[in-house]
Amino acid sequence: MADTTVHAPVVHHTSTGLSHTKLAMWLFLGSDCLLFGGLISTYMLYRGRTNGGPSGRDVFDIPFTSISSFVLLMSSLTMVLAVTSSARGDWRSSRVWLMTTALLGATFVGGQVYEFTAFYRGGLGYTTNLFGSSFYTLTGFHGAHVTVGIIMLLSLYVGTMKGDIGPDRAETIEIIGLYWHFVDIVWIVIFTLVYLLPA
Amino acid sequence: MAIIERKPSLELAPAGGVTPRAAAGVFARPTSETGWKSWVTTIDHKKIGILYGVSALFFFLVGGVEALLIRLQLAQPNGKILGAHTYNEMFTMHGTTMIFLFVMPMAAAFGNYMVPLQIGARDVAFPRLNAFGFWCFLFGGCFLYLSWFFGGAPDGGWFAYAPNTGSLFSSSHGMDFYALGLQITGIASLTGAINLIVTILNMRAPGMTLMKMPIFTWMVLVVQFLLVFAIPVISVALFLLLFWRQFGARFFDPGSGGDPLLWQHLFWLFGHPEVYVLILPSFGIVSEVLPVFSKKPLFGYPFVVFSGVAIGFMGWGVWAHHMFASGIGPISVAVFSATTMFIAVPTGVKIINWLATMWGGKLQFTTAMHFAIGLVVMFTIGGLSGVTHAISPSDTQQTDTYYIVAHFHYVLFGGAVLGLFAGFFYWWPKVFGRMLDERLGKITFWLMLIGLNLTFGPMHIVGLQGQPRRQYHYATGLGFDMWNVIETIGAFTIASGVGLFVINAIKSRKGPKAALDPWDARSLEWLSSNPPPPHNYDSTPTVHSIDEFFHRKYEEDEAGELKKVATAEELYEKRVIDEHIHMPSPSYWPIVVAFGLPVVAAGLIFSRWFSVVGGLTVLLGLYAWALEPATAPELPDQHHDPEGPASTEVATVG
Amino acid sequence: MTSGFRARRHAAPTIEPVRSRPRRVAVAGVALLGLVLAGCANKGPESTFRPEGKYAQKIDNLARPWFYIAGVVGLLVFGVVVYIIFKYRARAGDERVPRQLHGNTPLEIMWTAAPAVLLTVMAYFTVTTVISVNKTAKSPMVIEVYGQQWWWEYDYTGPYAGIVTATDLVIPAKTEIQLKISSRDVVHSYWLPRLNGKRDAVPGRTQPMNIEADTPGVYMGQCTEFCGLSHANMRERVIVLSEADFATWAANQLKPAAAPTDAAAVRGAQSFAQRCSSCHQINGSYVDAAGKTVQFAPVDASVSLVSGVAPNLTHLMSRGVFAGGTYDLHVDGDPAKPLNRPDLEAWLRNPSSRKPMAPDERRGMPNLGLTESQIDDLIAYLSTLK
Repeated sequence: MADTTVHAPVVHHTSTGLSHTKLAMWLFLGSDCLLFGGLISTYMLYRGRTNGGPSGRDVFDIPFTSISSFVLLMSSLTMVLAVTSSARGDWRSSRVWLMTTALLGATFVGGQVYEFTAFYRGGLGYTTNLFGSSFYTLTGFHGAHVTVGIIMLLSLYVGTMKGDIGPDRAETIEIIGLYWHFVDIVWIVIFTLVYLLPA
Repeated sequence: MAIIERKPSLELAPAGGVTPRAAAGVFARPTSETGWKSWVTTIDHKKIGILYGVSALFFFLVGGVEALLIRLQLAQPNGKILGAHTYNEMFTMHGTTMIFLFVMPMAAAFGNYMVPLQIGARDVAFPRLNAFGFWCFLFGGCFLYLSWFFGGAPDGGWFAYAPNTGSLFSSSHGMDFYALGLQITGIASLTGAINLIVTILNMRAPGMTLMKMPIFTWMVLVVQFLLVFAIPVISVALFLLLFWRQFGARFFDPGSGGDPLLWQHLFWLFGHPEVYVLILPSFGIVSEVLPVFSKKPLFGYPFVVFSGVAIGFMGWGVWAHHMFASGIGPISVAVFSATTMFIAVPTGVKIINWLATMWGGKLQFTTAMHFAIGLVVMFTIGGLSGVTHAISPSDTQQTDTYYIVAHFHYVLFGGAVLGLFAGFFYWWPKVFGRMLDERLGKITFWLMLIGLNLTFGPMHIVGLQGQPRRQYHYATGLGFDMWNVIETIGAFTIASGVGLFVINAIKSRKGPKAALDPWDARSLEWLSSNPPPPHNYDSTPTVHSIDEFFHRKYEEDEAGELKKVATAEELYEKRVIDEHIHMPSPSYWPIVVAFGLPVVAAGLIFSRWFSVVGGLTVLLGLYAWALEPATAPELPDQHHDPEGPASTEVATVG
Repeated sequence: MTSGFRARRHAAPTIEPVRSRPRRVAVAGVALLGLVLAGCANKGPESTFRPEGKYAQKIDNLARPWFYIAGVVGLLVFGVVVYIIFKYRARAGDERVPRQLHGNTPLEIMWTAAPAVLLTVMAYFTVTTVISVNKTAKSPMVIEVYGQQWWWEYDYTGPYAGIVTATDLVIPAKTEIQLKISSRDVVHSYWLPRLNGKRDAVPGRTQPMNIEADTPGVYMGQCTEFCGLSHANMRERVIVLSEADFATWAANQLKPAAAPTDAAAVRGAQSFAQRCSSCHQINGSYVDAAGKTVQFAPVDASVSLVSGVAPNLTHLMSRGVFAGGTYDLHVDGDPAKPLNRPDLEAWLRNPSSRKPMAPDERRGMPNLGLTESQIDDLIAYLSTLK
């Protein structure tokens, strides 16, 4: 903290060589793995328990979800581009990619909202059966994660309006990138287990 | 929760002659160093440690009163002091309080206070996150206790087995308070764990390799890893419980195919690592205390470390031993029996190493040493009765009887609590610069030791005689009567010991000032003053050995005999004073964000509007947190030189 | 609640384990764990130290050696601590700093390996016992056990299908019994300390449990998984009869309840039909106000109760206790002895005051607001349900 000169690199000596924030993010993601692990296990246990209500096969629209999954995967690509351009010091394109990532993420969340609405109309409410409860809880938690990611991306976008972006910010972008990729990877697992794996 | 502890925005940081207040406007950071405001806004790990300690001690007393009421009710057959429902609330809150609101935060208190000192750091990696964690714990605990005033406390046991916790069977809001309150304290544990891991991994003084870390710090590190991975599991369980109760999700509804065993698996997958979360910090404390008062280094340091790490790993493979009677099938039972037996090995290794540490030493029987030796013996009893549970057929005779209650109280009271008390007496001079009264301390010890054996010893007997736990009364003629009277007498004996400790603590405010090194201690934290200055060390020490402080005081003479070459005072006088220390300023926002959480939670129980208000508080608080400047206006007495070189390892942003 | 029906326990051969083993080892072990007291006081009716039948015996055989080993290990640690305390205490005037011994790897390996070997042996015996205790006998008598707040129901199967009892499980001696344990509401746990370890009753699941008793008598137990308000009042008994006595008992249980003839009992049966039969099943008939003999209809209690079932009262008087074992139905809990009228009357006046229940939430028996004469009539009727 002693170093407060704007634009000067803030390099703290750390025992591991990783910055505090990055290490903390890795730990948080490790922890989050267990959160999704618990939710996915719950879903896998209950996926077949439809109790007379609709099952996944009755409501899922695989082509639609495939497209929104593809959109989310693409957002990982744009996140990578945002990180690399910020590392190059190319702040203008970095900000463009940040905004693109946020928009792709928002498209995915929008798709999820649409999908939930369609499922609900198709007779699958949150309380309809165990499949419904565990499906909405799992995908809802994932959607919440994506939403938090979008808020962070947008905050970063707004926060860098004034232009002063140092290497410090580049690392923040990288760390948010870690989070974003994690959320994408989790979605790949969820998409495979929930939508593709036959019950 | 995705809080990203980021570095303060640089454009708002002070630069040149611009004062931060002018630059930051509404986001100016508070400056109080004394008075209540300094405690509310503090981000100093030492003050936060004290806050944790005081709050945890308060909850210990509350949980203790609950225990006494339970014991009064059970003092005789067909007791009439509490009704069935009140009794159920009482034991639920006793267990929940002691685990989540006493032992865990008390361990956090020690971890927060001692870890940065032990590794030669100025603070934790994320001081504001640290403060946030404390307020989450406190508000989460208070939120849980509010349930008494809003329709009744949780009544489903601390283990909250579904479906008994559903709204069909538990119609008060108690279990909602439980699910939400623990969720909030869980945030405290998770953020605290991440913070301490980063601190320990990243902020060690030069020369302090992992295998030169003080053993307490090692045990804290293991515990934080356990928390990082265990907390999300209980979070899932609590979310499922909450959504089931509040939103009608079907999770534990047997009629819809819901499986009560899902709750049990999730709960114990958290719950067993949690046991080690509770005990390992005390193991760490005892591993500090025994060497100091034996005048010998910890015997087999690497083995004590590795056995701690081994416990940390193996602790994940034994959860189903809480479910031997649940119907998980003979194969699972056999497997979990075997894994459970083998976790006794690293635990045994620790005990033997403690004995070997004392062997050949020069033992000084201070109060801290009393408690440490008490732990060794009492924990051994708990460990041995634990193996009888690993023998799963035998466990089916013992589980959910008072034998189990006896077992885990020997582990948690005889182990964890005695260890924490050893820590109180050992580190009191470090933290408060005053001594606790040793004579009163020893009386406290004997009252607690005798009390705990009177209370929990007979529980072995009545348990094997068939007295089930969690029952508000028992019939006469089953062979329980006399033992239960003794247990109640024992409980009050413990209470008198604890009461004496509280008196001792209050008295110590006017007690004798502590010398710099009252115990002839060994580890790094004693290199700083008592109590340490806000920045801990006037210059960051360089570490050469595990018992760094000891080796600065003692050197071998020509004959190979160890001789004291310097006193702590001399070492202290010789210290280098670094002119460029700069500590981060206090902040309003951790407490504001933390306060938003119980408000959100209240909204889930009462009116959704609370949630909106709470959610906005959290969100705005987070933005303010991110945007506030790095420092308060400069104070005249601070050695701050903005143009100067970065001072040593100070890495206290955030 | 005292019960002379349990007096049998005094006559039953008491296993005195402490004396039957090497005295030195036993005394050493127990001294530390406080188990010496357990050894002396193992006469309790629910003591795990009085195994009966092969299943409990197997558990006892497995666990008992560990108690001694644990005692010895505990005493060893305790002895070493005491030795260290006296031998190595700091003495006045001794300024020497002890040798700074950091460790000894061979020793460490030894004291890691030793307990590991010991525990491997324990693990071997544990695993074999787990498998043998859970092995189902060739053709056991199967009885379904259902837990609900706050009592146990037994549904007999096979040749005894149709027998339904509550709280008292009646079985023949020297016979392999397989209990199939489940629950109708929350998790309970079925435990008969002298016969076998406990098994949880989990709704939606069925768990087997083997028992066998060689000696006729009464074996006590209680619910051991916290199951809400009256968890403490959810007891059970196993009444072990000789094979001949069991045959007599079973034959009686399979008979329907005859319509009463005594005037008070007839009135009582009519009130029962009006006030009680929406929850309590009676397999039998009664004479209605019009003088017609009618069958009690099959009960669908799910309307009035969360668990959907209340105790079947067809042969109420063949049981020793009622209200989940909270009160004696007959003096001393012995069906052969006179009716314990005061407790039964008090129960009918206001059940929740006698045993905490939540009838408002459809869990437990509501207060029916019966008049004294209705209670007299009801008891007259219930007394006919032999």
